[in-house]
Amino acid sequence: MKSNQKTTLPGKITREILVKAKQHGFSDRQLAHIWGSTEKAIRQLRKQLNVSPVFKTVDTCAAEFEAHTPYHYSTYDQENESVRSDRKKVIILGGGPNRIGQGIEFDYCCVHGVYALEEEGIETIMINCNPETVSTDYDTTDKLYFEPLTLEDVLNICEHEQPYGVVVSFGGQTPLKIAKALEENGVRILGTSPEGIDLAEDRERFGSLLRRLKIPHPMYGTAYSVNNAVLVAEQIGYPVLVRPSYVLGGRAMEICYTNDAVREYMKKAVDVSPEHPVLIDRFLEDAFEFDVDAVCDGKDVLIGGVMEHIEEAGIHSGDSSCVIPPYMISEKNLEEIKGYTVKLAKALKVIGLLNVQYAMKDGTVYVLEVNPRASRTVPFVSKAIGLALAKIAAKVMVGRTLEDLGVKDFDFRKVKHISVKEAVFPFSKFPRVPVFLGPEMRSTGEVMGMSSTFGGAIAKAQMGAGNTLPVEGRVFISVNQSDKNDITITIVREFTKLGFSIVATEGTAKFLKEHGIESDVVFKVNEGRPNVVDLIKNGQIQLVINTPLGEESRYDEFAIGWAAIEQKVSFITTLSAAATAVKGIEHQQSDSFNVKSLQEYHNEIEA
Amino acid sequence: MPKRTDIHSILIIGSGPIVIGQACEFDYSGTQACKVLREEGYRVILINSNPATIMTDPELADATYVEPITPAFVEKIIEKERPDVILPTMGGQTALNTAVALAESGVLAKYGVELIGAKLEAIKRAEDRELFQVAMNEIGLETARGAFVHTFDEAVKLAEKIGFPIIIRPSFTLGGTGGGTAYNMEEFRGKVEHGLSSSPINQVLVEESVLGWKEFELEVMRDLKDNVVIICSIENFDPMGVHTGDSITVAPAQTLTDKEYQTMRDASIKIIRKIGVETGGSNIQFAINPQNGRMIVIEMNPRVSRSSALASKATGFPIAKIAARLAVGYTLDEIPNDITKETPASFEPTIDYCVVKIPRWDFEKFKGVDDTLGVQMKSVGEAMAMGRTFKEALQKALRSLEQGRFGLGADGKDIVEVRTLPESKKAEWRKKVLDRLKMPKPENIFYLRYALQLGVTIDELFQVTKIDPWFLHNIKQIVNVEEELYAYRP
Repeated sequence: MKSNQKTTLPGKITREILVKAKQHGFSDRQLAHIWGSTEKAIRQLRKQLNVSPVFKTVDTCAAEFEAHTPYHYSTYDQENESVRSDRKKVIILGGGPNRIGQGIEFDYCCVHGVYALEEEGIETIMINCNPETVSTDYDTTDKLYFEPLTLEDVLNICEHEQPYGVVVSFGGQTPLKIAKALEENGVRILGTSPEGIDLAEDRERFGSLLRRLKIPHPMYGTAYSVNNAVLVAEQIGYPVLVRPSYVLGGRAMEICYTNDAVREYMKKAVDVSPEHPVLIDRFLEDAFEFDVDAVCDGKDVLIGGVMEHIEEAGIHSGDSSCVIPPYMISEKNLEEIKGYTVKLAKALKVIGLLNVQYAMKDGTVYVLEVNPRASRTVPFVSKAIGLALAKIAAKVMVGRTLEDLGVKDFDFRKVKHISVKEAVFPFSKFPRVPVFLGPEMRSTGEVMGMSSTFGGAIAKAQMGAGNTLPVEGRVFISVNQSDKNDITITIVREFTKLGFSIVATEGTAKFLKEHGIESDVVFKVNEGRPNVVDLIKNGQIQLVINTPLGEESRYDEFAIGWAAIEQKVSFITTLSAAATAVKGIEHQQSDSFNVKSLQEYHNEIEA
Repeated sequence: MPKRTDIHSILIIGSGPIVIGQACEFDYSGTQACKVLREEGYRVILINSNPATIMTDPELADATYVEPITPAFVEKIIEKERPDVILPTMGGQTALNTAVALAESGVLAKYGVELIGAKLEAIKRAEDRELFQVAMNEIGLETARGAFVHTFDEAVKLAEKIGFPIIIRPSFTLGGTGGGTAYNMEEFRGKVEHGLSSSPINQVLVEESVLGWKEFELEVMRDLKDNVVIICSIENFDPMGVHTGDSITVAPAQTLTDKEYQTMRDASIKIIRKIGVETGGSNIQFAINPQNGRMIVIEMNPRVSRSSALASKATGFPIAKIAARLAVGYTLDEIPNDITKETPASFEPTIDYCVVKIPRWDFEKFKGVDDTLGVQMKSVGEAMAMGRTFKEALQKALRSLEQGRFGLGADGKDIVEVRTLPESKKAEWRKKVLDRLKMPKPENIFYLRYALQLGVTIDELFQVTKIDPWFLHNIKQIVNVEEELYAYRP
């Protein structure tokens, strides 16, 4: 197929037919397919034949009155209604349609970018195609183009507007995908260079950078074929995390424990090729994870906050709940996280936002990945600490420094109140889908709980997410073999102390009894009736703790999960989340909830 | 009427976390409301538990509470902040439900807080199925025939009155499971029995089926002087049976005759008056039977909705902003249209282009999920595009979705290249494509193209999909141009 593609087209194609195609909405990519050519060649041909879009104005009145608000869309017609100003202007690329893994957080960042550039006296131009957003409010920017975020459409606008530069790092993966091509077409990319972004994404180059900086990282490798993948996994040692390169939201990511599992994954999940290799990392089981959002101006680094994930490693960061400040980390490890973040920001020559994910296991801090762009957690951190990180980043991208913005010496340790972020899932909309969390992100949204205590923030986050924790009743518990440990015993003791009675499956009940804890034994789904699902449906269980056992009992676990979701019973699948639920319930029993505004919280930080 | 000076502080309730069916459109409406109400000099207090929103930026309100949106927490905020009024129409169903709970429990009366934007009676009349049915009948408009029943006998009696096909929908089941369509009494008996037992409150809705009817929405605004304007008409490309949030939608409506449109317009004006939404925007949904033109009212949202966001972006008319101003006492003729600056908001928008919205689903993240589209919304996002024609806007919207497609096929991603398909395979593909089109599914739009390429006629396609022939003709035109383009292939 490729060898047939020509980069120039013979003169057979007329201006007339090209205009007709364009008026029927055909993209350059489609024309390239139809004519066996390339997008680039079609673009050149359009220019030769003088076929370019014009920009019409959305004026509410079908041009009956003069419109003052520059809100435009492209079409192939006469008369361009979009007037280019002679001000210095910057285009911000939005995030496109919302999807799991790329949602409203990126719209938040784009809009903040706009606010910041306006404050700097720069004309702002937004390109986006998502009608739900604030960024597509014609009030938000000086100029709005309601257009697809493809290379073709964005280049057309760049050619017309001649911007000083384009911001690609606020809208999630969407604008990043075209960043390199935009640069090749002579568009200036503001902030971290596509080269820096590439360096962070390229396993080999990034790996050698980490080695040079003496920053620990889990063993990793890259596979270009099925057989190769098994080899790489064996070298690294199981368990491994496998995933395709260049994705957001952990699409098709899996944790594998055996060669067979890797082979299975490679077969079904991805079309692996030299251009699209599969990444394989050592999976640090039972590690604690941390996220850092920071801004770098090339010289100084502002660390907004260190978030600790409540669920252990293996659950996608977008699905994990997290807390600021971190609650289980030594001062030494926190200093390491701080130091590594600064080193990485400088080494990657980051100008703007930076997100680093860390894992901590047995006292060692490892870098999992670095993303020199806006992350999903930027708005959460910004609200927790009272600094609008995206705004600061946008100013840095057009030449301001952290020092002259007065935020160089911000110390994230000053933030004393507790902020918890909890994810919200669509399981109630999709009956009969697996309800356990994993490395693939499935949450659609998030809530934040703020309080002066950890328990208060946890309880509020749960209430906000629609999973209000119970204050009395019965807890059902069923844990897998590796969770039959001291942690479970401590958690169950706490629940009995809080006045809950315990119901457990046979194995778990036996384990509890060995440690002197009494519980009522209940049947699993296939053991007889009434079983645990019956109890849940009858409202006799108020909280479920069920840590996944693996394939053989999947059906049982799904049935329990679905019953819990249907009956709106709190459903917990990790011990760490169960431990935090104890704190939340403790707080709820004391019934001492206060409400406090963000403005009040933020004032306290400054004081 | 100028703005109210008897009130000083306003509590706005947001919509909480992004969930399917309630997404960032409410960040857009809430942000607009915060902005204009502060511009008007009011003290704005906000509650929203979602930190990812722009509306919860500390600069946008005087006091921003990132707290759970429950009646208990809102009461705590009322107790602390003592707002004069609550504006509950910007935060979707979450905000409306919370406000209703506070009104009914007496909290609002206790603290002397007034609801603005929509009054309790109006909300109830719009949202209670039976009250709504009665109200519509009183103004001579029809709704789908049917009712909630609790027993098998009640259901059978009702079925005899309605006639088949009938939809059975159990109340409060996960994902609407346990429901379905019955075409005869035998099927009906089975489905009702199943539905009653699967509903935790043993209740099912038994309703006349309007599957396959054409679906329309009108965005309407009203002020205290009883001025009413229609902002925008929206037509669903997918017929009734697919949730509006899961439908491809088009603005303005394309397939109504002027007479039909005027009837719908008049009905909308009557409805907003009858329901009693005094200030602000509402969304009213209609269905039309393509066979005989019979029109029924499906429902009304007495608040800013997902469709209002779409209508605002489609027309340039800022519905939420204007609704917020109306809520504090302004009338439509007093509010300038900030696009033209010359015309007031009482001028209805006119558009000389076509707007197409296409939903985006993420089914691949949920193993084993049923991806058939139905009355419960399943999409997680959407893209909108504008063009001079439906054809141009449709193709632009398809490439806006970012799912690796660059228009209506012909981009190297098609599952079948009909042009090069051997004759011997055509019948098989034809059957495959038509079978697939019997059920509404996410990528059906591409299958319409395959069907037309395979020589299926527009009439056949209409019989299978109930998609209006006007849309099918337009898709056919795209297919024809594609064919014409091939003639120029070097």
